[in-house]
Amino acid sequence: MYASWTVRHKPKTLGEIIGNPQAIADLVSWLRSWEQGIPKKRAALLYGPPGIGKTVTVEALASDWSLELVEKNASDYRTEEAVRTFAGLASQYGTLFGKKRLVLFDELDGLTGREDRGGVGAIIKVVKQARCPIVLIANNAYNPRLSSLRFYCLLIQFKKPNVRSVAKRLRQICQREGIEPEEEALKFIAQRSQGDVRSAINDLQALAQGKQQLTYEDVSWLAYRDRKDAIFNVLRLIFYSKSCDAAKSAVDMADVDHNMLFEWIYENMPYHLRDLEDLARAMESLATADLYRSRIRQTRNWKLTRYVVDFMTAGVAVAREKTEPAGFVPLRFPERIKTLSRTKKERQTKSKIGWKIKRRCHISAAEAITEFLPYLRVIFENNAGMASGIAKWLELDDAMVEYLAGTKKQAKAIVKAD
Amino acid sequence: MWVEKYRPRSLKSMVNQKDIVERLKSFAEARNIPHCIFAGPPGTGKTTAALCLAHDLYGEAYREHLMELNASDERGINVVRQTVKTFARVRTLGEIPFKILILDEADNMTSDAQQALRRTMERFTGTCRLILIANYSGKIIEPIQSRCAPFRFTYLPREDQDAYLRHISESEKVQLEAEGLNAIYEVCGGDLRRAINTLQAAASLGKPISNEIVYSVIGRANPLDVREMIQLAMNGNFIGARDKLREMIVKYGVAGSDIIRQIHRELFRMRDIPELWKVKLADAVGEIDYRLISGADEEVQLSALLARFIEAGITMRRSG
Ligand SMILES: Nc1ncnc2c1ncn2[C@@H]1O[C@H](COP(=O)(O)OP(=O)(O)OP(=O)(O)O)[C@@H](O)[C@H]1O
Ligand SMILES: Nc1ncnc2c1ncn2[C@@H]1O[C@H](COP(=O)(O)OP(=O)(O)O)[C@@H](O)[C@H]1O
Ligand SMILES: [Mg+2]
Ligand SMILES: [Mg+2]
Repeated sequence: MYASWTVRHKPKTLGEIIGNPQAIADLVSWLRSWEQGIPKKRAALLYGPPGIGKTVTVEALASDWSLELVEKNASDYRTEEAVRTFAGLASQYGTLFGKKRLVLFDELDGLTGREDRGGVGAIIKVVKQARCPIVLIANNAYNPRLSSLRFYCLLIQFKKPNVRSVAKRLRQICQREGIEPEEEALKFIAQRSQGDVRSAINDLQALAQGKQQLTYEDVSWLAYRDRKDAIFNVLRLIFYSKSCDAAKSAVDMADVDHNMLFEWIYENMPYHLRDLEDLARAMESLATADLYRSRIRQTRNWKLTRYVVDFMTAGVAVAREKTEPAGFVPLRFPERIKTLSRTKKERQTKSKIGWKIKRRCHISAAEAITEFLPYLRVIFENNAGMASGIAKWLELDDAMVEYLAGTKKQAKAIVKAD
Repeated sequence: MWVEKYRPRSLKSMVNQKDIVERLKSFAEARNIPHCIFAGPPGTGKTTAALCLAHDLYGEAYREHLMELNASDERGINVVRQTVKTFARVRTLGEIPFKILILDEADNMTSDAQQALRRTMERFTGTCRLILIANYSGKIIEPIQSRCAPFRFTYLPREDQDAYLRHISESEKVQLEAEGLNAIYEVCGGDLRRAINTLQAAASLGKPISNEIVYSVIGRANPLDVREMIQLAMNGNFIGARDKLREMIVKYGVAGSDIIRQIHRELFRMRDIPELWKVKLADAVGEIDYRLISGADEEVQLSALLARFIEAGITMRRSG
């Protein structure tokens, strides 16, 4: 079996850790101050939300500086007595072998349960007498139970790394795992994790393990995984209600916004409304809802939203005259959402190619797209040699070549062909 | 690209458009030109003629005396106010006292911008001559038309197109079969740009160019298979028709407005739809067209149109 990717790709050195440069710098300079003798604060208390690299920072630091890391989960050392056995370790700076020592009490939050009474007091004692640096880690440093301890510690706050750096880390991991990810896919995972790097890596593993590529489509389901059943029921309500009110109530049940619900309805409707006339009527109603959406965009009058809701729920429900409720119909994820990010990127690439053609062929970029692109596509898909010459002449970049070639493999062949 | 490689450099190598070419040649000899409008369908040599004229007037360094602006990309009034004016105003140093400004695809220029052009054309005639190029001269406002000498380009005749394509395939050493040539004319008419692009794409397949090769290129290049989509809808296969629609929009990036235009054209060509229904459906097409113009969602609205075709299919089957 595979190891968990959070373990397998645990940063080994400080350089690999993303985010929190200030906190890390503070920690390093505090540790450095030990070289000049025992500093005023003998312990540093790192705190911040889960999965953002607190523990791993300390581990990487110890490894970078070749320190002997004595690491204990405070949650394993719940009682006063157990903590005290630890105290001995903290009473000397070095080891027999000349390595300097760093003592880590991790997950202090676990120490605050009722049966750990005295635990915090014991730690304070250890800190007061410590002859080597002690690092404490907690999620919440302002937990009242830790208040007396705080006084003896240098407080260092760890914050959530931003989406970009999380995505960057995910990209590195993909690279090591031999996976080619789409940028959009990584961004999506990173965004969803809200700064929790650990959960982002776990999500990545769940979605990408064993694959060679990771596309936006692969991940877009993620957002709805846990809501699938709810959406399923909402759609049945809309397709099979007999009354307007019942169908309209679906909107409140749905845990997604109107536009998203619209997409689910549009995608799944033809699989439910098997009678063609029912379907045609329902489709017309959906188009009317869409018409109100465009009116909202134009007038910025959000009050019109209620008509969007009417036509996409009640309108669809009453369109059903002949269709009997179907048995189980599998839920389909909206195609348009899957392809959304891809088409946006493609549109941009296409228009950039248009401008390249314009520079060479005395034609507007807009015309170039209709007059040249289709033929270029045929050439790029079939004749790497000819394509390579054209690519150079038009000064196309890699993304443009790949767009025209259709596949990465063919794009590579074209690049190689020159 | 072969279209550029084989674009004539000088008026004397232009294919056909004889009357026009003769008059332009006489301009070049007289070393003077009026403001011109070149109008006509795509791929018939309008832009080429303008470039050739400049070449024959100024010689190899003609680019120094020329500016090409494309109104489809820069259609606003500010372009006229700034770029055009600045260019038009400054005198050149050559023997010929004026420069040439080519305003290509001018039918896409806003009428405001065209109005602004009026003045510029008169004030700077001494230093700058305009060649406006358009598909339809009707989209150029009257006052500008009246300031210009009009030239009407027409589709190239079959023999000329064939000869040119043969010439290209000989130079490129590709084998072009008579049937293949036939097929190219069939699909491209006298649009030489399209014809040359088709030829090159067909040649890229590395086989002698037969009519099958040409049609397979066209099939791959123009996935606008509106007829099949309508057929699927009329037969009651909404999901299949919607998939086709999506393929056009998503995979090939065809614009909704193009699809609707094709549907409209196809509608009146279809033999198995009763005449009365053609008119009824045209109303539906027009309604959807209008909605798209007002900013509604392309795929959803076109799906709704497909649903109308489904209804038409049902009613027609009922009435036998
Ligand atoms: N900043 C980061 N840079 C690189 N990897 C990280 C980072 N943060 C977390 N990870 C990854 O997530 C795993 C868990 O991180 P870590 O153990 O440091 O979390 P923590 O902040 O101590 O969280 P908790 O408060 O839950 O203990 C690491 O092994 C590593 O793979
Ligand atoms: N009359 C012509 N003579 C020679 N080549 C032509 C002629 N018309 C079109 N072509 C070919 O088609 C291409 C496009 O022609 P162009 O003049 O740009 O068309 P448009 O009329 O749309 O401006 C040219 O590069 C050239 O290869
Ligand atoms: Mg931790
Ligand atoms: Mg042109």
